[in-house]
Amino acid sequence: MEELLRMEGIDKRFGSFYANRNVNLSIMKGEVHTLLGENGAGKSTLMNCLIGLYTPSAGKFFMRGEEVRIDSPRDAVERGIGMVHQHFMLVEDMTGLENIILGDKRHSTPLLRQEDDRKTIEGLMQRYGLEVDLDERVADMSIGMQQRVEILKVLFRGADLLILDEPTAVLTDLEVQGLFDIMRSLTDEGKSIIFISHKMREVMHISDRVTVLRRGECIDTLEIAKTTEQELADLMIGQKFEESVYAKVNATDEPMLQLTNVSYHPEVKHGGLKDVSLTLHKGEILGVAGIDGNGQAALASLVTGLLSPESGEVCGPDGKSIALFSPQAFIDAGFGNIPEDRNKMGLVGDMTIAENLVLKQTDSERFSAGHGAWLKMDAIRDFAERLREENDIRCTSVSQTARSLSGGNQQKVILARELESHPKLLVAVYPTRGLDIGATSFVHDQIVAQRDAGCSVLLVSADFDEVLKLSDRIVVLFEGQIMGTYPGANPPIKEISLAMAGK
Amino acid sequence: MDFLVNSLPTILNATTLSAAPLLLVALGELFSERAGLVNIGLEGIMAVGAFVAFAVGKMTGNLWLGVCAAVIAGIAINMIYAFCTVTLCVDQVVVGMAINILAPALALFGYNMFVGANSANATGVVMERLSIPGLSQIPYIGGPLFNQQLLGYLAFLLVPVVTYFFKRFRSGLSFRSVGENPQAAETLGINVIRIKLVACVLCGALAGMGGAFLSVCMTPIYIDGIVMGRGFIALATVIFGRWSAVGIMAASLLFGFFDGLNVALQAQFNAAPVMFFKMIPYIFTIFALIFFGSRHAGPKANGQPYYRESR
Amino acid sequence: MSKSTSSENSREKMLMTLTPIVSVLLALIVGAIIIACLGKSPLQGYGAMIQGSLGSAAKIGKTLERSCPLIFTGLTAVFAYKCGVFNLGGEGQFIMGGCATATVILGMGLDGPVATLCGLTAGIVVGGLWGLLPGILKITRGLNEMITTIMLNYIAMYFMEHVFKNLYSDNGLPKTLALPNAARLASLGDMHAGVILALLLGAFLWYVIFRTSFGFKIRAVGMNPIASQVSGFPVKRLVLLAFVISGAIAGMGGSVELLGKTPYRLAGGFGSGFGFDGVAIALIAQLNPLAAMAVAVLFGILNTGGTMMQSVIGVPTAIVDIIRGLIIIFAVAGMAIVKLPKVIAFFNVRGTRHDKAQSAPDKKEEVTA
Repeated sequence: MEELLRMEGIDKRFGSFYANRNVNLSIMKGEVHTLLGENGAGKSTLMNCLIGLYTPSAGKFFMRGEEVRIDSPRDAVERGIGMVHQHFMLVEDMTGLENIILGDKRHSTPLLRQEDDRKTIEGLMQRYGLEVDLDERVADMSIGMQQRVEILKVLFRGADLLILDEPTAVLTDLEVQGLFDIMRSLTDEGKSIIFISHKMREVMHISDRVTVLRRGECIDTLEIAKTTEQELADLMIGQKFEESVYAKVNATDEPMLQLTNVSYHPEVKHGGLKDVSLTLHKGEILGVAGIDGNGQAALASLVTGLLSPESGEVCGPDGKSIALFSPQAFIDAGFGNIPEDRNKMGLVGDMTIAENLVLKQTDSERFSAGHGAWLKMDAIRDFAERLREENDIRCTSVSQTARSLSGGNQQKVILARELESHPKLLVAVYPTRGLDIGATSFVHDQIVAQRDAGCSVLLVSADFDEVLKLSDRIVVLFEGQIMGTYPGANPPIKEISLAMAGK
Repeated sequence: MDFLVNSLPTILNATTLSAAPLLLVALGELFSERAGLVNIGLEGIMAVGAFVAFAVGKMTGNLWLGVCAAVIAGIAINMIYAFCTVTLCVDQVVVGMAINILAPALALFGYNMFVGANSANATGVVMERLSIPGLSQIPYIGGPLFNQQLLGYLAFLLVPVVTYFFKRFRSGLSFRSVGENPQAAETLGINVIRIKLVACVLCGALAGMGGAFLSVCMTPIYIDGIVMGRGFIALATVIFGRWSAVGIMAASLLFGFFDGLNVALQAQFNAAPVMFFKMIPYIFTIFALIFFGSRHAGPKANGQPYYRESR
Repeated sequence: MSKSTSSENSREKMLMTLTPIVSVLLALIVGAIIIACLGKSPLQGYGAMIQGSLGSAAKIGKTLERSCPLIFTGLTAVFAYKCGVFNLGGEGQFIMGGCATATVILGMGLDGPVATLCGLTAGIVVGGLWGLLPGILKITRGLNEMITTIMLNYIAMYFMEHVFKNLYSDNGLPKTLALPNAARLASLGDMHAGVILALLLGAFLWYVIFRTSFGFKIRAVGMNPIASQVSGFPVKRLVLLAFVISGAIAGMGGSVELLGKTPYRLAGGFGSGFGFDGVAIALIAQLNPLAAMAVAVLFGILNTGGTMMQSVIGVPTAIVDIIRGLIIIFAVAGMAIVKLPKVIAFFNVRGTRHDKAQSAPDKKEEVTA
C-alpha cells in the first residue's frame, strides 16, 4: 500500500512539559487509522501540530515521501490535510454554504462566487452521501448536520487526509452508523482518515490500523485484524489496570430528592427537559447516563437551584415541595454541588485557594465575626491548610490563585469544599471531565466514601463507564426525557446503550 | 404641531449634519467589532481627529489635507489600541478607556501649542456645501440629503460600500468569521491577527475622519470636549443598528433627528430652559437602547482576547 | 521545585507593584523629552512642579484639596470595577451629588451644621440614585453600563446647568449663590475637612473590600459571576449594590467638593473630567483603594504643580494631561507584559487539555531580563 503521510520524531514541548515526545506515525492511502489514547495522551496536540495550529518543537513531516513544512493551517490545507475538530470550528451565524467556502482561495477574484461553489459542493454531497441544507444557519442545524458541514469543508478544500477528532462523542448510535458509512465511502475513493477515539467498540468496528499513544509517546501500531480489545486497552493504559470495583448498595426506599413531571423548555431537544420524574433515595448513588447535550445541564441546574422548572415539582427529603429552590437554599440545606465546569462554575479563578475553599461560608461564625463584618483571616488560612493536607492539594501555598492549579488539583479544591461538611445530598456533574487517571480515581473514591457515609449522590456524567462503575441505580436521559431506570449491579448494558440512543 | 411643521426643514438639515460624523465613526466601530474588537476609545480618537483636521486645515488652508491628516492621526492613535489588545491581549475596555484619557490630552496640548496666544489661529473655515442640481430642490429632504458637504456625502456613500463588502467580498466573509469564531477562522488559514490589525486601521481612520467632521464641517473651531460623548453614542448606534451598515445609518439618522429637534427647540423657545433640550440626544440614546438595543448579542467573540500559540 | 515557584509568585507580585511606579517614571521621562523639545528645561519644569505643589504647608494643603475629588471618583471606579461594573459615570454622579447638596441647602434655606449634614446626605443619596439608574438598566434590560453612564454624565451636566443658571442663580450670573458660611466644611489648617473624610473613606473601603464577607462576595462576583451564582450569592443584588455604592461615593465627592472648596458654588466645569480621572486612578492602582488614594494624590500634585510649571517655564498645563494619559497607557500595557508568560502557559496547558501544573520559568526570564 502507498504511504500518504509519515511523521518522524515529533516533539511538542510546553515549557518543560512534553505533550508529545518522539512520535513516529505512518498513514497509508485509503485507510482508517485510529489514534487511541486516554484523555491527555497527546492525541489532540499531535493533530494540532499536523494541521499547523501548533509548531512542533522537533521532528519532520513527509507527504507522499517528500518532506514538508507545516507552519500554518494554510500550509496544511495546501498539503491536503483537513481536520474535523471535536468542538466544531463553525461560525454559527453563517449558513452552511458560507462556512464551507470561508477562507477558500480557489477564485482569484476578491468577490465571492457562491453559485459556482454551490455546484461543486453539491457534487461532493452526492458523491459521498453527505446530506446538508446549505442555506440553513449553522446555529439552527442538528449536531449531525453540523458535523457533515465540517466534513464538506475539509473535502471542499481537496483534503486527501481527514482527521476526525472524537467525532462520535456527540452523536447518537444511528448518527454514528451514518458517519461510518460516510467514512467508508471516503476511503473507497482513496481518502485517508485519522480517527481519534477511545471508544473501543467503535475502534474495532471501523479501523484498519490503530496507533496507541500514552503520555505523549507512541506505544505501538497494530493491524486491527490482529489485535483484541483487551490488548489495546492494556496498551492504552500501560500496566494491567485493576479497576477497583466499588460495592453497590441496595438503597432504602426513603426518598432524598424527588422530581415529579418536571419540565424546562421541553421544546429544546438539546438542553431542555420534558416531564422528568425521578427519585433519589437516601444513601445511594443515582447515575444519570446519556450522551452529552440531552438535558443533563438543565437537570443539574434545576436540582441545584440555578433554574426553576416551568412545571412539575421538586420535593425534598421531608416530601415537601420546594417551591423556590435557589442556590442559596440548596447550600443552606447542607447540600453539596460539584458543578459541570470547574473553571466557570466551581471556582473563582483569580481568587486564592484559601478564598475558594471558604467561598460559600464567609458569613458563618466560623470564618467571620459579626455575620461577615470581619473575616477571620487566620481561621480561613488554618482551615485551608488543613483541607490542603487532607485532600493532597498540590500547591506551593494556599494564597496562590486557583487558576494556577492543574485541573486535577482544582477539582480537589472543589471536592474539599463541598464534602468538608459531609452533605446529605451531593450533585456531581461530569466530576472527572478532563482529569487524568489518578485524579479520576481520587474523585471516585471520594464520591463512594460519601455514599458509604450516608450521603445521597446524583451523578450526572456523559462518561458511560463512570456511570456504570459508580451508580447503584441508573437512569438514562435522552432529549430531555427519562428513558428508563436500571439497576446498578449487573446493569443491562445493551439495553441502556439503546436507551441512550433513544430506543 | 405647528412648531414641528415650521421647524421641519431646520430639524432635517441638522439631522444629516449630526448623523454624518456619527455614521463615519460607527462604521469604523463596525469594522472593529466585526473583527471581535470592542473599541470604546472612539471618543478619544475623534478628539485627536478633530484637532488635527482643524490645525492642518488651518495651516495649509486646505481642508482636505486636514481630513487626510486626521485619518492618519486616527490610525496612529488606534495603533496603540491595536498593539495593546491584539499583541498584548489587554482587556479591550481598559485600553479603550486609556485612549479616551490620553488622546484628548494630546489634542488639547497640540491645540495650546498651535493657538497659544495667537487668537487669529482659533477660527478656521467650514467646508463648502455642495448642492446637487435638481435633487436639492426637492421639498424637505432635498436640502438635508443633496446639499451636504462632501464629507457628509462620503459618509452616506460608505453605507452601501460597507454592506456590499460584508455580503459579497471574500475578505468580508473572513472579517465576519474573525469576530464570530476566530479559532475556526484560523483553522481555515485566515490570518486572524492581520484582520484584527486591518480592522484597527479602518476603525482609526474612520473615527479620525468622524472627528474631523466636527471641526471641519460642523463648526470652524476646535475646543476641548468638542466630541461631547459622540464616541459613546456611536457605540450605542452600532448596537442599535444591529451590527449592519444600513441599520447603523438608520440609527444615526434617528439620533441626528433628535439632535436636530434639540437645535430647533432651542431656536424656537430660547426663553425656556434650553439645557433640557440639550439632554434630548442623550436621553434618546438611552431609550433607543432600552427598546431596541439589548438582547441581540452581536459578534460572538466580541470583546474576547484572541490568544495564539507562540511559535 | 516548590521553593522556586513560590519565589516566582512573589516576584510576580513585586513586578505587579513595580509596574505603576515604572509607568509614572517613564511618563515623566517622556514628559521631560517633550519639555526639552519645546526648548525648555525639564529639570526646572519639574522643580517648579514640586515647588508649586509641595513647596509649603499651604501648597500641600491645596494639592490635597485638589486630590480630594479625585480620591472620591477613584474610589468610585475601584469599588464598581471590583464587582465587574464598568461605571464610567463618576462624573455625572459627582455632579448630581453637588446639585443635591446645593438644592437642599439653597432651596430649603438651611444653615449651620444641619445644612452640612443634610447636604452631605442628599449628595450621597442622589449620587447613589444616579448610579442605581444604569444598574437597573443593566440588570433588567442588559444595557451596557459604559454607554448609559456616559449618557447620564451629559444629562447630569445639563441638569447642573439648569441648577446654576435658573434655579439658584447668583443674580442671573451662570453660577449658584455661595453656600452660607456656617454650612461649609471646617477648615483644618490649609485644607478642608473633606480631605480627611476622603482618606477615611478609602481606608474604610479597603476594609470592606478585603476584610468583610460582603466585600468578598463583591470581589467574587466581579471575577466570576457564574461561580458566584452557583455559590448562592445574590449576584444581581450585589451588582446593583455596587452601582449604588459607587454612585454614592461619587455623590459624596461632589457634595464634599461643593461644601469644602472655594468658591462654594456650582458653576460650569464643576466636576468636569473627574470621572475619567477616577477611572485612570483605579486602573493604575490595580483596584486597590489604598493605592488609589496615593495615585489620586499624585494626580493632585501633577494638577497643582502643572499650573506652577506653566507660569515658571511657560509650557502649557496640557502637558500634565499627557503625562497622566501616558501613565495609564504604560501601566495598562506593563501589567499585561508582566502577566504575558503566565497567560501563554495557561493557554498552552488548556490547549493540550493536560492535567499538568504549568511552569514557564524560561519565559518569565525573558520578561524580567
